[in-house]
Amino acid sequence: MTSAEALGIVTRKKTLAERILDGLGSTVVNIVLLIVALFWLVPSVGLFLTSLRSAGDNAESGWWTIFTKPAEITIQNYANLLQNPDITGSIWNTIVISVPTTILVVLIGSLAGYAFAWMQFPGRDWLLIVVIVLLAVPIQVAIIPLAQLFGALGIFGSVLGVILFHTAFGLPFAIFLLRNFFTEVPGELIEAARIDGAGEWRIFFRVMLPLAMPAVASLAIFQFLWTWNDMLVALIFTNSESMPLTVAIQSQLRQFGSNIDVLSAGAFLSMIVPLIVFFAFQRYFVQAMLAGSQK
Amino acid sequence: MNANRQRRAIVISAVGAVGLTLAGCSGGGGGGGSDIEGDFAGEELTVVAAWSGAEQENFEAVLDEFEAQTGATVRYTSFGDNGPTYIQGQLEGGDPPSVAVIGQPALMQELATNGDIVPLSDEALDVVTENYSQDWIDLATVDGETYGVWFKAANKSTVWYNADLYDEAGATVPEDWDDFLEQLQVITDAGYAGISIGADVGWPLTDWFENAYLRVAGPEKYDQLTNHEIPWTDPSVAETLEVLASLWGSDLVQPGGDQRDFPTSVTEVFGAEPNAATVFEGDFVAGNITADGNSVVGENALFYDFPAINGSAPSVVGGGDVAVAFSDDPAVDALMQFLASPEAAEIWVPNGGLTSPNQGVDPSLYPDDVSRQIAEALTSAETFRFDMSDLTPSAFGGTQGQGFWQEMIRFYQNPTDIQGTMEALEAAAASAYAG
Amino acid sequence: MTAVAAAPPAPAPEHAPERGGWRRFAITAAFLSPALVFLGAFVLYPIVYTVVRSLFDRTGGRFVGFDNYVTMFTNDTTFTAIRNNVIWVIVAPAACTILGLIFAVLIEKLAWKTAFRLIIFMPMAISMLAAGVIFRGLFQENPNLGAVNAAIVAVQGWFSDDANYPGAGPREGTGIVADRGVISTESAVEPGSVQNFPLTGIRQSNLPEEATDAVEVEAGDGEIAGTVFLDVIRGGGGTNGEIEDGKSGLPGIRVDAVAPDGSIAGFATTGAGGEYTITGLDAGQSYTVALPASNFDEGAQGVSWLSASFINAVVILSYIWIWAGFAMVMIASGLSAMDRSLQEAARMDGASEWKVFTKITVPLLTPVLIVVFVTLIINVLKIFDLVYVIPPGASKPAANVIAVEMWTQSFGGGNNQGLGSALAILLLVLVLPSMIMNVRRFRQEKAR
Repeated sequence: MTSAEALGIVTRKKTLAERILDGLGSTVVNIVLLIVALFWLVPSVGLFLTSLRSAGDNAESGWWTIFTKPAEITIQNYANLLQNPDITGSIWNTIVISVPTTILVVLIGSLAGYAFAWMQFPGRDWLLIVVIVLLAVPIQVAIIPLAQLFGALGIFGSVLGVILFHTAFGLPFAIFLLRNFFTEVPGELIEAARIDGAGEWRIFFRVMLPLAMPAVASLAIFQFLWTWNDMLVALIFTNSESMPLTVAIQSQLRQFGSNIDVLSAGAFLSMIVPLIVFFAFQRYFVQAMLAGSQK
Repeated sequence: MNANRQRRAIVISAVGAVGLTLAGCSGGGGGGGSDIEGDFAGEELTVVAAWSGAEQENFEAVLDEFEAQTGATVRYTSFGDNGPTYIQGQLEGGDPPSVAVIGQPALMQELATNGDIVPLSDEALDVVTENYSQDWIDLATVDGETYGVWFKAANKSTVWYNADLYDEAGATVPEDWDDFLEQLQVITDAGYAGISIGADVGWPLTDWFENAYLRVAGPEKYDQLTNHEIPWTDPSVAETLEVLASLWGSDLVQPGGDQRDFPTSVTEVFGAEPNAATVFEGDFVAGNITADGNSVVGENALFYDFPAINGSAPSVVGGGDVAVAFSDDPAVDALMQFLASPEAAEIWVPNGGLTSPNQGVDPSLYPDDVSRQIAEALTSAETFRFDMSDLTPSAFGGTQGQGFWQEMIRFYQNPTDIQGTMEALEAAAASAYAG
Repeated sequence: MTAVAAAPPAPAPEHAPERGGWRRFAITAAFLSPALVFLGAFVLYPIVYTVVRSLFDRTGGRFVGFDNYVTMFTNDTTFTAIRNNVIWVIVAPAACTILGLIFAVLIEKLAWKTAFRLIIFMPMAISMLAAGVIFRGLFQENPNLGAVNAAIVAVQGWFSDDANYPGAGPREGTGIVADRGVISTESAVEPGSVQNFPLTGIRQSNLPEEATDAVEVEAGDGEIAGTVFLDVIRGGGGTNGEIEDGKSGLPGIRVDAVAPDGSIAGFATTGAGGEYTITGLDAGQSYTVALPASNFDEGAQGVSWLSASFINAVVILSYIWIWAGFAMVMIASGLSAMDRSLQEAARMDGASEWKVFTKITVPLLTPVLIVVFVTLIINVLKIFDLVYVIPPGASKPAANVIAVEMWTQSFGGGNNQGLGSALAILLLVLVLPSMIMNVRRFRQEKAR
């Protein structure tokens, strides 16, 4: 018995026409989404097919001709990259840069987000606005001053420097996002926890974070992604030992030749890990969906 | 430890100057080799340049020889497209490389004026004086001090053509500019575009201008314009732009040039299905052709010199990459000496892709006639000038999206507007030289 | 439950805990300080540095006050950049957010939702550089290389016939001229005479199989005859305009005899040797003999998407392709955190899906939507990679945005960091209007 019936509310049964419309509706939706998905895929598929052709073939004709000339398919572009020790070594560097950054951003950002959402202190709202304005700072601006600063600290060229750089620039978005999610948590839950004698740390770890898991998961995905794909900061702040994948690929670009073979294969190689991360984390949306309804 | 090294350094210089060899330093062909002896074991040097792929392999072979001779370790990193940014960043962070090989003398000038790079040591200067013509030495000199070793040169006065298409159409190698236009017409009649131009980024257009200007106005005016002693509104500039307009405004040029990038313009001529028969740029076109794999340099991919204009003498506009040192450490100095020696160049030359301005290099080592021709044209040119856009301040001559590069793109799209182009160029130059 | 869901909850209760103020301060500090340290040292300090730097000249040695700002505002390129940024801000964040919202909501019930999410998300996993390269390639004007133009040309090909000899033109100096694609005789021709058409611009390899060497013909009374041939010998040589060995005839070309009043008095199609004969003509009249443009029309080559007129649209499109995935993921996470019982109740009450969506779902999603929208606005103001990579040189001025202009000034050879810094400050200032929205929202929250 649904709660509505228990309360005596009469629910209308849907007419046949309405049921047909419903069914049609979902079919139409399915078709529309299918078309959207197909169009959305075209550029990525195009790049993938481009990576399967040699530079010469790519310069002669478009990637769709591969269907008429399947003999052109080659994995040479990938082989070239993977056989290059600079490239394979840089993958590890990229992991070493991206994982700590993501963890730091999530941790520090959620702590600060909680403070902005549920703690009282003077100037809180203005400070929050300043933090959000920092979202607008383009990283190019920070390159020279931070290069000097890191040089003075002796960490220029090291992985640590890059991690600090990315963490700092990831915080404004993290704080903004998590603060907004945290404010949505009902005040009663926190009250209840406080009455039970829980301290701030407990409330934070046991109450807030689990409830905000979808937001945390999304944040983690994007922060990882942005750090993984960054090239500009890494170009300047790493040296040949610590360079990540993006810089390694960039150094393979020829001055005067066509580079589409390196770029396309490099883009797909580079995409594998972020996609794995996406898969791993996106189920948290589903899990949380079920959990959220049991509040 | 320090004293030891210093003593060794003195020994090395003395030995080098006298030309004796100690432990079997391999001498390359030709005279004037430097003898880099001494033990730099444990020393780590870093070298950066724009070379990647095959060029990187060849350059690393050169560096390997230095490592073998001296025991030092040399690490090479390619900065791809981002040379000036990368170097500036490294300088800000206090971690510059030992040696950088850069393509813009203007950048070298800036680094020298700021004191970031050090002049050549006396020994290195000796090696350079022995092996390079005065023109090249002058190009490496800032305020009376010589800073650089020219390792790689480019002949930018080569016009490449697809011999198969020329034969089919019955076109011949032109004698001068008017003949050039005539031959392109013959090609166009035969159904192919006469010439393909990749005007996308703009720098190929500047090379067109420099070659034409050198022939129209002569070397003295070329120098004056480079130093902005005459303005870009000078009549010689107008004349040059008119010459260029006679080609760019015609239907001899393959349409779509303003969105075509340089490598594509090479493929249009030398790819599997050529649409045009000629492409102009420097000798590095050969590298593109070989990488593409559809034509063979020396067989159906040949070149002729940029055509004379109004009876000008054979002239070459050249480019190159110069090595500069960021410290006066003896190991770094030894590396500079090595790079200045014919021996170093001769490791790369036979593999193709290197035109060396080093006069001590044995020409027979070039892998084929075409590269030998190019090298000889470069080293024996009557009138030689360096690429103007690399000599001017980078804001004018070296930057995408502004200055020389951008104005030439505008002119390419609109070849009738000579007056407007000259004025825009002068305005850009004025602000760049003033800063 | 309605009260809780509809209004954002009040912040921590006013009756502060009984613990000492010092303890509370320490805890607050503990939560806040890591973030503040990072932000202060690595983000705020560079801003201060930039502000100071913008007051100095190019090399940093000379104090110039507001000179850089004056230069900036009197510069044409800066205005184009600001204008472009405004266009971006108006179009891109709204498009991404709306698309993201639609996707996130619609796919809830989809069986293949993970696949769909992956497809929409994938562009975010591709680096901006690669994405830029993809779109540059897609929209290239050459229909052989650019997918979009290839599609357009293919579709057009279904509706019209291909010309036989695209790009062919008349040999100069032989009495025939081209005008708007039509190749015709300069002066009128009388019946009984022979009119040849020496053409150029056709490749040997493009000649049809049935073509033979050009054939000379004679014209009888009331006829105009002649040969349309390729006036080029393989390997060169020969005399212009003359029918000689080695010159191929051009079959399949339609030839019209045009009366002085413009009507077509007769026509013929050339044979294998390029020969044609038009009969039934009036002996007293003179006719212009013309080859219609349809013989030589090169056909549409698609649109020049990367030219200055369309370039902004292309770059913005690439941005939406990438960032709609961001909006979708964020909104999906907001949806999953949402309490569904409200919607269920509404549905029970007979509300339609649309009403549920607009009256319940969207308002509940407001916090997430705000985060997405504001983030996108700020992101778009900073846009750099795509605008740097996609436009070809000729279109770069038209596509310029502030961040690119800043990069060009600071690092692009001019090394004018003073001006670059001023541009960076301009960018920060432009962010402020979107902050007003947030300020208002905070005030609203406080008011409740």
